[in-house]
Amino acid sequence: MVAFEVPEVDYTRYTNRQLAAIPLALLAVALLVLAGWYVTTGAPVQLGTEFTGGTELRVQTATPSSELPDQFDADVVSVSPVRSEANTYIVTFPPEAENIAEQARSNLEPTQACAQNPDCDPVKSVQGTSASFGSSTQQLALYGLGLAFAGMSVLVFLMFRTFVPSIAVVLSAFSDIVIPLALMNLLGIELSLGTVAALLMLIGYSVDSDILLNNHIIRRSGGFYESTYRAMRTGVTMTLTSLSAMAVMALVAYLFGIDLLASIGLVLVLGLATDLMNTYMLNLSLLRWWKFEGVAR
Amino acid sequence: MNWRDNWRVILLAIFIAVSVYALVAPGVGGSDDAATNESLVAEAGGPTNLAFGLELSGGTRIRAPVDGQTAYEVDVPRETSPGQIERRVAANISAADASDVTVRLAQSANETTTVELLVGNVSTERFGSALDAAGYEYDRIQAGVTDATRNTIVRILRDKISQAGLAGGRVQEVQTADGENFVVIEMPNANQSQVEDLVTERGKVQVVAGFPVQGDNGTEYRRVPLLTQGDFSRISSAQDSARRGPHVPLTLEEDAARNYSNAMNEFGFTGEGVESCRYRDDPENPGYCLYTVVDNETVYAASMGSGLARTMQSGEFVQDPGFIMQTTNMSEARELQIHLNAGSLPAALNLDDGTSYFLAPSLAEEFKLYSLITGLVAVLAVALTVFFRYGDPKVAAPMLVTALSEVVILLGFAAAVQLPLDLSHIAGFIAVIGTGVDDLIIIADEVMAEGDVNSNRVFQSRFRKAFWVIGAAAATTIIAMSPLAVLSLGDLQGFAIVTILGVLVGVLITRPAYGDILRRLMTDT
Repeated sequence: MVAFEVPEVDYTRYTNRQLAAIPLALLAVALLVLAGWYVTTGAPVQLGTEFTGGTELRVQTATPSSELPDQFDADVVSVSPVRSEANTYIVTFPPEAENIAEQARSNLEPTQACAQNPDCDPVKSVQGTSASFGSSTQQLALYGLGLAFAGMSVLVFLMFRTFVPSIAVVLSAFSDIVIPLALMNLLGIELSLGTVAALLMLIGYSVDSDILLNNHIIRRSGGFYESTYRAMRTGVTMTLTSLSAMAVMALVAYLFGIDLLASIGLVLVLGLATDLMNTYMLNLSLLRWWKFEGVAR
Repeated sequence: MNWRDNWRVILLAIFIAVSVYALVAPGVGGSDDAATNESLVAEAGGPTNLAFGLELSGGTRIRAPVDGQTAYEVDVPRETSPGQIERRVAANISAADASDVTVRLAQSANETTTVELLVGNVSTERFGSALDAAGYEYDRIQAGVTDATRNTIVRILRDKISQAGLAGGRVQEVQTADGENFVVIEMPNANQSQVEDLVTERGKVQVVAGFPVQGDNGTEYRRVPLLTQGDFSRISSAQDSARRGPHVPLTLEEDAARNYSNAMNEFGFTGEGVESCRYRDDPENPGYCLYTVVDNETVYAASMGSGLARTMQSGEFVQDPGFIMQTTNMSEARELQIHLNAGSLPAALNLDDGTSYFLAPSLAEEFKLYSLITGLVAVLAVALTVFFRYGDPKVAAPMLVTALSEVVILLGFAAAVQLPLDLSHIAGFIAVIGTGVDDLIIIADEVMAEGDVNSNRVFQSRFRKAFWVIGAAAATTIIAMSPLAVLSLGDLQGFAIVTILGVLVGVLITRPAYGDILRRLMTDT
């Protein structure tokens, strides 16, 4: 059996400033991306139809994709082919569009296999959300994220009862959410309920490894670097395990065309990678500063 | 081997056994009554007792608010009856008649009198000025209807769905975080338009007499509503006969029968009006017609039959008040029967302010299979990483078995309570595997740190240290997920509940058991 070992990093070679600079710079860039997005589009992230309102139609048809928009009374926001199935498209409409499914059934050319089967329905799925419902869902998701984050922060402070280690956990969890959000914008992933779920999962995963590190450094005997290495060996294994599971899940779900699972997987991959950086650079530098300088003051 | 030392492993084994039983044993998981009343899909014929939600079984879900608005704390003079108030308010709104206004007088000190307007497309200002014009003061007007009205709507919708033969349908009320109320209708295997028809039509059925009267300016037509839901003592199933076409046989209540036959005699239907409805050929000048009116639309016009007319004249009709409502086709007749049986909705649902979801069953089947494969592949990835990391099957194999048993227990639980599984639950299961394995890694690393574990005491102390981290992480995950589990509105709720349950099962059952297994393997006792 081939075993891999988590390599030991010689942290003494870097100052706290150096260590914290990279994660903080990335966090700043991510916040800038979100701010820029807000200024140009009116929302810090790309919102899916669940939040903006609108209709998403999944249809299998022989009508070529370029002619699809002409078959409907309403404007078409986008047409994107489904990778796993031939002649299948996801067509998105604005909130005011009506009777999409009926129009699709009567106007679109059925595929050959479909035409021979009287039970065949070219409309595979329709998902409609009104604008008002979308905005209330948006609010709900925001509340949910906010409450989850606040609850997590309070609990972390209660557990460690010291300011710096606690704020280190909270800060790195914050960054674990913000950096993937910015990356989602850059990669063109929309914020949907599924990706909100992924962001919440990130809070859980990210706090895991941070708590582990804090716990080893604060509550255990032994030198700082020794404790760090032990925590890292466990923590990196944990994160890599989750990372590999999510990467594989994202890939397989992408190939199968299950968008929800694919986007959850991708967001988690981004977030877990961010978490590795934040935990072992940002969190660690804050802890080291606190242990060697902050306490002495 | 000592029972007391291994009770955690034994507990885990019991849980797994019970879960497997709940998963695969036929007839478990409330498939007898729960499946017909509550659960979404009666998933008969599947290899497991799992219930699947719409995203994995196909069907339609509509989530919409009730179309209407309510004035609260309305001041009404004590002696006025609700009926009077309703008529006075409705008179000031062109789009509404008295049946569209509902007054609920305060019954006790902690209630307030409310006036509801149950039609859409009327602004709150318009409703407010109608109340002002009628002379009633009110505190505030809000969109939506009272709880009592909403409960009635949910009850009638349930009735309609079960009568329409759409098995496994479910109607629920949900409240959003900002206090808006929605009615959610979920129906497997039904397509959207079927469901929409059922819920947007209020289904108010009337029998209206239309007949000519000689006025000052020649012949005028009068329409008088005579019968409505509630006037029938018996409603039989819709049927089709050669002589009468598609129709619904009915029996009238005695009072209704007396009023009806009196009206027929008085209006001339039993005299010159017999067999003289020409509605189809000449709708402008139809003669004596009995209209079947559903939601203010005439669906059928019938003549008074000569046989029936005779029994009405002689008074026999009141003793034997059999009656039929005819329609043009069978599906209309069936719809009519549903409306008659279930009653009319006090208000319709406003589909423009909600969400709708339809997924073809064929695609749902694909999703089910593919998400299973996706989950398995994710587990495989975890397994490979763990084996590579530890290089020791003694540590890694029990880790996988424990993580998987968490999922088995959760699936067993889902089957036992017939939780309808959706894609969000699957994501939750994958999250559970992820956090589960994370925690097992913490335990393994902690226990094996610094040389061999040779005594039980060393093991126990290390295990406890590891458990502090796990407990802390579990608590944060539960805190992070709980707002979503409570703040309802569907989609993320399932994910949050599965994750919380998974974490609980992990911390309380499977992870301690893993500790025991590991101890046996490490300490060789």
